Amino acid sequence: MRRRPGIGGLQTAAAARDQYRLLGENVAKLRTDLMKEQLSTFRSQLEDFARKHKNDIRKNPAFRSQFHEMCAKVGVDPLASNKGFWAELLGIGDFYYELGVQIVDICLATRPINGGLINLEELCKILSQRRKGAREAVSEDDCLRAISKLKVLGSGFEVITVGKRKLVRSVPTELKKDHNEILELSQAQGFVTVEEVERRLSWSTGRATDALETLLDEGLAMIDDGHRDGKRRYWFPCVSSVSSFVASETL
Amino acid sequence: MQTLGEHKLPHFFHYPPYFTLQPVRETREKQIQLWKELILDYCRVQKIFVIGLEEDFPLFSNPAIERSLNHEAREAFLSAIVLDGRAEWMDKSHRQCLILWHRIKEWADIILHFVKENGLEDSVMTVEEIRTGVESRGTDIHGMDRGVLMRALKLLENKGKLAIFKGASTDDEGVKFSV
Repeated sequence: MRRRPGIGGLQTAAAARDQYRLLGENVAKLRTDLMKEQLSTFRSQLEDFARKHKNDIRKNPAFRSQFHEMCAKVGVDPLASNKGFWAELLGIGDFYYELGVQIVDICLATRPINGGLINLEELCKILSQRRKGAREAVSEDDCLRAISKLKVLGSGFEVITVGKRKLVRSVPTELKKDHNEILELSQAQGFVTVEEVERRLSWSTGRATDALETLLDEGLAMIDDGHRDGKRRYWFPCVSSVSSFVASETL
Repeated sequence: MQTLGEHKLPHFFHYPPYFTLQPVRETREKQIQLWKELILDYCRVQKIFVIGLEEDFPLFSNPAIERSLNHEAREAFLSAIVLDGRAEWMDKSHRQCLILWHRIKEWADIILHFVKENGLEDSVMTVEEIRTGVESRGTDIHGMDRGVLMRALKLLENKGKLAIFKGASTDDEGVKFSV
């Protein structure tokens, strides 16, 4: 296009700009449309897949986990509501709801032993024992999903990481950093002494004792004065597997 | 699970802190509950009626984890059982504890049942015969503590189900059932 000076030239330039803008919008719209179409195709393919593999999804935890990941990528949450296509097709909503209820039960039953902190592995073990007769096996991934839905209940029910373990918290009291560090330290032998805490974390006696006494008061620790060396040990049921043994006897 | 002799032990028995009386109330309550159940269960299976606090009662220590219950803990657990009505202190200084893994009234019912099962409704037996005779073999009555048996029999006597009388020898007493 030849630039022409004067008003005519200006009008042509404006018209050209407009045309480019329209073209630009069209391109954007085209891209969005294309994406929407792809997404929609993907979604219906996902639905077909779910229909076809319904049993596998129900029975196989690993498969189920991968299915969830696929759904997440497409922006589908089969657990979002209990009604609706997904819940009806797979009945997954009920499965996680049921798991959630059982998890709450187990946490409450073991709370007198472990103060409201239980390690995830143990929780899953107890859950599996409880569900021995059920058709569907339960994985840690399933537990985590059920727990994330439980968060809706508000206070507590969170998964925290301490050292190499994941712990499920079912009480509102949050772990302070000092407590977290002690728990991590306790993972080696299941217990710590005041001396050990001072030494390994370079804390003052006061700081160590305060933290341990708080953990004791909150029911997260138990004292042991029976060792022949006479040193008091603070044991942490949530890093051992005591909860499961006690739980299986009370449930 | 490990066994103490042949008794299957719950897992808390192998977790050291359970051998120390816990200071925090909720934790201690759970601890006491677990120990109460264990003690009663063990006594029932082993047919133990008396626990001496200063003696070597097998449950008071677990050599495998090198832990023992101190006197305070032993007394706390047994006191809890006493409070439940399933044990009695035999002396003021709480040195001996009578364990009623069946309450006296339950023993009385068991005896009644035993009498009916064996067609002894109108018969006469000595107390020793009841306790060690052939008929009671296989039941909880066999080998039971004589003192407890006498209390149960006296309870039944008060209800008119039997009459206790002195035998020919001074060693034993007789029971005439009228169930």
